[in-house]
Amino acid sequence: MRIFYLLKKELIEIFRQKEMLVIMFIAPILQTIILGYVVTTDVNNIPVEVINLSKNKAAYRIANRINRSDLFDVKKITNQPGDHLKTLKQGKAKSIIILRDRYDKKRKPLAYPEIQILMDGIDSNTSVIAAGYFNGIARQFILEDMRKKGFELPVESQTLIRFNPNLKSINYMGPGIVALLLTIISMFLTSITLVREKEQQTMDTLLISRLTPVEIYLGKSLPMALLGLIEMGIGILVVILVFGIPLRGSLLYLFLASVIFLFAILSYALLISTLCSSQQQALFFSWFSMVTFLLLAGLFTPVENIPKGLHWIADINPLQYLIKIIREIFLKGNGIEYFYKDLLILGAITVTVLTLSLLNFKRLVSK
Amino acid sequence: MQFEDIIRVNELTKKFGAFYAVNRISFNIRRGEILGFLGPNGAGKTTTIKMITGLLRITSGNVFVKGLNVKKQIKQIKAFTGYMSQKFSLYPLLTSLENIEFFGGISGLPRKEIKKFQQQITDMIPVKILKQKIMDIPPGIKQQVALFTCLMPDPDIIFLDEPTSGVDPKNRRDFWMQIYKLKKAGKTILVTTHNLDEAEYADRIIIIHNGKIIRQGEPSTLLKNENMDSMEDLFKKAVTDHETN
Ligand SMILES: Nc1ncnc2c1ncn2[C@@H]1O[C@H](COP(=O)(O)OP(=O)(O)OP(=O)(O)O)[C@@H](O)[C@H]1O
Ligand SMILES: [Mg+2]
Repeated sequence: MRIFYLLKKELIEIFRQKEMLVIMFIAPILQTIILGYVVTTDVNNIPVEVINLSKNKAAYRIANRINRSDLFDVKKITNQPGDHLKTLKQGKAKSIIILRDRYDKKRKPLAYPEIQILMDGIDSNTSVIAAGYFNGIARQFILEDMRKKGFELPVESQTLIRFNPNLKSINYMGPGIVALLLTIISMFLTSITLVREKEQQTMDTLLISRLTPVEIYLGKSLPMALLGLIEMGIGILVVILVFGIPLRGSLLYLFLASVIFLFAILSYALLISTLCSSQQQALFFSWFSMVTFLLLAGLFTPVENIPKGLHWIADINPLQYLIKIIREIFLKGNGIEYFYKDLLILGAITVTVLTLSLLNFKRLVSK
Repeated sequence: MQFEDIIRVNELTKKFGAFYAVNRISFNIRRGEILGFLGPNGAGKTTTIKMITGLLRITSGNVFVKGLNVKKQIKQIKAFTGYMSQKFSLYPLLTSLENIEFFGGISGLPRKEIKKFQQQITDMIPVKILKQKIMDIPPGIKQQVALFTCLMPDPDIIFLDEPTSGVDPKNRRDFWMQIYKLKKAGKTILVTTHNLDEAEYADRIIIIHNGKIIRQGEPSTLLKNENMDSMEDLFKKAVTDHETN
């Protein structure tokens, strides 16, 4: 029952620090909401200039469609040519659509105009998506127009999108953000409070007491895991209530995955704290590992995009597995039979890192 | 046996990299004595205590506590040693009573015992203060609470690392009175200090400098043998002797 006293002490310490409470309970709500709105790969309201140099009707109608679409914020429609490069440089528009007449061999104007899309490629993602939108609009218009005239295309592919039919990025990002929060809180707090004990020299007292390193680890991690789960609960509520993301799978599995994940990440925190002797060092180390974990977690970019040489980091990155599992549970409603392998890997990571850090823990405290 | 050596330290050495913090020191501590460990900042006092208590790995040499080898039997040794570290090592955000509960709890005391200890400290310190966070109370009281917590499992051997640093003279005297009480109760006590005028309180002193023992013996005998009036002078002489050698 010695561990009970460790837990009690830890919780008292956390609840007596007002700043800590704010960080723990207000920040996650705000962060989920802010991140939910900001971290989005949806592209809309792209600032556009349309330059219609064509006299034909189709060109006029295409320009009109672009103007009406929510995807674009049409700054200007004109029939005067201008200095396109300057417009892009000034950032007045991210893309410029130029519609020109096309002629056949006999210099007779064709039914459909030539469409030229000029893109500001700095934000490559947006550019590619925007270009896709333009093509879609133009194609759609031409198809409809041709049908009216009685032509049919011989082949047409149809796409059916499952799980996230509107391709809303918040559905994809939201659950990931919850996992992210869980990482930030548990990793930072645990490594900092562990190192603080070293600084206060209370760690010496703990070590000289009859507590075993495993007990000390559990005494630190259990309260953090508990708080982590509460945070996670808040995050999930925000994601469901504010963003309307459906939770199709079981809450129980979500909980199970989070618990296993928490122990994995807390083992990393312990490893960090055995390597650091001051709170600043611990802060730096956890920040650094967190950013690495974050970038290689498949949250912003798919794991498949990670260069081969860095794949091993992704493989030992607990966040990657949690994000995958969380998304599956939320959007696909998957049961454990789909992700039990990921859970096993998480478990293996926990055991390995924990063993490493406990060995290190003993060695480091008795240098 | 009248002077049973409860702790035997033999050629104890600690190296940090190429630097010898403690360099082949040997000494014994007798059961029931107060041993003063004197030395300036950086002399190697804390390092020595930490090796004896198993908090630091020993580079070379041996330490036996009640015949048990620190390198191998630290678990058994923990059962009868108490340690108060240099910074008092209490939790600043917890109150004194909470700290007592915590340290009692982790040393495996039953709830009833802990309650008894909490009762006991209210005889020495007003409850109002005991219910304040450690970070808000004066160092003199912190020191008392720290000593109290390290005595809770009722250890036979007590290591106190600079217990009087940052404490005013009156509290310092009170503190030494408590140490005497402990001695009367049969405890063996190792106290470090860089305050030379505290030497007289100890039964025996060891002066350590740059990781080496440069004098050891009873304070009064040491002074007499070397014809010195004060510990300060003795210490200066010892250092010059050591450095000219
Ligand atoms: N972990 C460490 N790594 C490197 N050097 C260390 C370490 N711990 C202590 N030292 C050095 O060993 C020497 C002895 O330190 P120690 O803490 O034992 O001195 P001390 O006698 O307790 O002094 P103080 O009065 O300052 O407490 C010092 O020079 C110190 O800088
Ligand atoms: Mg010291």
